[in-house]
Amino acid sequence: MQDRRLKYVLILPAALLVLGTTIWPLAVSLVTSFRDWRLTRSLTPGPFIGSEHYVTALTDDPDFLNALQVTASFVAIDVTLTVVCALGLALLLRRAGVLHSLTRAVLILPFAVSPALVGISFRFMFNAEMGVFTWLAGTLVPWLKGYVWLGDPVASLLVLVFSDAWRWVPYMTLVVLGGLSALPREPEEAARIDGASEWQVLRDVTLPALLPVLAVVAILKTVFALKMFDQVVTLTGGGPGQSTTTLAYLVYSIAFRWYDMGYASAVAWILTAMLVFLAVWYMKLILRKPGGA
Amino acid sequence: MAEVSLRNVTKAWGSFTAVRDQSLEIRDGEFMVLLGPSGCGKTTTMRMIAGLEEPTAGDILIGGQRVNDLPPRDRDIAMVFQSYGLYPHMTVEDNIGYPLKLRGIKGAERAAQVRAAAAKVELEALLHRRPKELSGGQRQRVALARAIVRRPTVFLMDEPLSNLDAKLRVSTRAEIKHLQHELGVTTVYVTHDQIEAMTLAHRVAVMQGGEIRQLDTPEVIYDRPADLFVAGFIGSPPMNLVQGQHADGRFTAAGGFHAVTGVARHSGPAVLGVRPEDVTVAPAGQGDLDASIYAVELTGDAVLVTVQAGDSRIIAKADRAWRAEIGSSVALRLDASRLHLFDAASTKRLQPE
Ligand SMILES: Nc1ncnc2c1ncn2[C@@H]1O[C@H](COP(=O)(O)OP(=O)(O)OP(=O)(O)O)[C@@H](O)[C@H]1O
Ligand SMILES: [Mg+2]
Repeated sequence: MQDRRLKYVLILPAALLVLGTTIWPLAVSLVTSFRDWRLTRSLTPGPFIGSEHYVTALTDDPDFLNALQVTASFVAIDVTLTVVCALGLALLLRRAGVLHSLTRAVLILPFAVSPALVGISFRFMFNAEMGVFTWLAGTLVPWLKGYVWLGDPVASLLVLVFSDAWRWVPYMTLVVLGGLSALPREPEEAARIDGASEWQVLRDVTLPALLPVLAVVAILKTVFALKMFDQVVTLTGGGPGQSTTTLAYLVYSIAFRWYDMGYASAVAWILTAMLVFLAVWYMKLILRKPGGA
Repeated sequence: MAEVSLRNVTKAWGSFTAVRDQSLEIRDGEFMVLLGPSGCGKTTTMRMIAGLEEPTAGDILIGGQRVNDLPPRDRDIAMVFQSYGLYPHMTVEDNIGYPLKLRGIKGAERAAQVRAAAAKVELEALLHRRPKELSGGQRQRVALARAIVRRPTVFLMDEPLSNLDAKLRVSTRAEIKHLQHELGVTTVYVTHDQIEAMTLAHRVAVMQGGEIRQLDTPEVIYDRPADLFVAGFIGSPPMNLVQGQHADGRFTAAGGFHAVTGVARHSGPAVLGVRPEDVTVAPAGQGDLDASIYAVELTGDAVLVTVQAGDSRIIAKADRAWRAEIGSSVALRLDASRLHLFDAASTKRLQPE
């Protein structure tokens, strides 16, 4: 048959594109991670030095350790906050109604805003002198008046989490809403008749049935939180100090501020390994036969 | 224990009315069966009593108290859902025990009550399975056990036996009847199986298109159906209905079909009804009507004989040993005391004086 060959011809451009823009750079960076290559010394890659970069990163680099810690805290708080808020909002928006469906339609907007822009607008909102949030917090809690949110290591990480949650929660709410609308309504009704309060219905019937969807949301959000970069650049610049330097931002710093391409590639690959591990887990979870619970 | 009242209850979705201005007084301890074809509003009526659906108009009272604004959990009801509504992540044991758990019954006592309820529907061997590991009939029995595990004020059962095999259906039906008699719990039971309605009910409400067509004891519903719909819906095989003219107490139809009805005051188009078991097939010349055999079907416990009398086809129920050749001539005898006459225009029953 002719079209047996035709189909390969048709996917060839796409395959070449992926090869050229994804596979090739990845391969190059993997090779680079085993070489000594500082742009300050040479424009061409230096000699192979084996796994030295990896050993350094994992055993002897306070910056890497710090970034790992920052990333871990960021992921933990960000994922928890996103899942809890998305679940809460989805439960509130679940009922039918004009107002509810209108809100559902508006929910997609924050996700349409580019993350870099989110970072910039949050920087303005948390500006110590003219930020609307600083003003709001100062009005509600007097001793927070004029507080320099982005000057405090802990607060600035929380602001970073807040900006990311603002962008992601509405989208994840829609995902959870989809999961909720796929649940049969009889088990919940049966529980109500059996004498369960709304809280007990949620705990004993709705949440267990929703668990697979929540797991998908959590893993997906973990993957994206691990890659946190845009808002770090535009909102906190990794600081104060290194308090918001995530792994992705560290890679960027090593490569384009200190020009150590070899080491940056190695750290990038450590991050990639974590992401691949999670992605595989995620695929396993969603490819499991549906309606498992 | 309580009586349940529906007063002028209507349920509409947009312009579609599922239940129309329905009034129903269910007595304390009564076994009320809602019977009707698919889509006639049985489940909707039941869901309104349970509080899962809010009536568009009218009042619902349980034990004399208006419950329109009371959530389901405060109505003290146990319900068997048409689609079971089991808790998918709980074992059979936990499903059945959930109403008890919510009432703070713990440990050994709960386990004992769960086992007793499971035994009533032959589920003891499956207590540790999950719903998805059960067949349809087994799931239905879990739903039933979950309802009977406690003593509510009202039982609501929405076709609780529809998925059981014939044998289990008979035994479970008896179990339900016995249980209801013993506990004296007011029960509303939905079915479209007439045998279930006849055997279980104190009273039957026959519904069609969101309205109750007749509300009475099974005997009256069967012996004196109020209109053509009830007459045609109740009975298997259904009542023979012959279109014709009625005058001076005598019914005639095309092709020479005739019968004496005893209804003096009616004349005009009418429908004569006679149940298959009230028709006797006699040797030719020995009955009221001449007829010929159209078909003979053996159902096991009886023989259904379809005969052609005039232009009408009549089904008669004969003894299971009865046999005849198709096409042979016979005579029909109609039990005069069990003839039903309906006005063709209003479809209402005309009562003999
Ligand atoms: N949520 C709903 N929205 C709109 N129409 C509905 C809704 N629920 C039920 N109906 C309609 O109301 C009518 C009555 O439904 P109901 O479930 O009470 O029927 P039923 O008598 O229980 O039938 P069955 O014997 O098939 O279970 C049907 O025509 C159905 O389509
Ligand atoms: Mg129904």
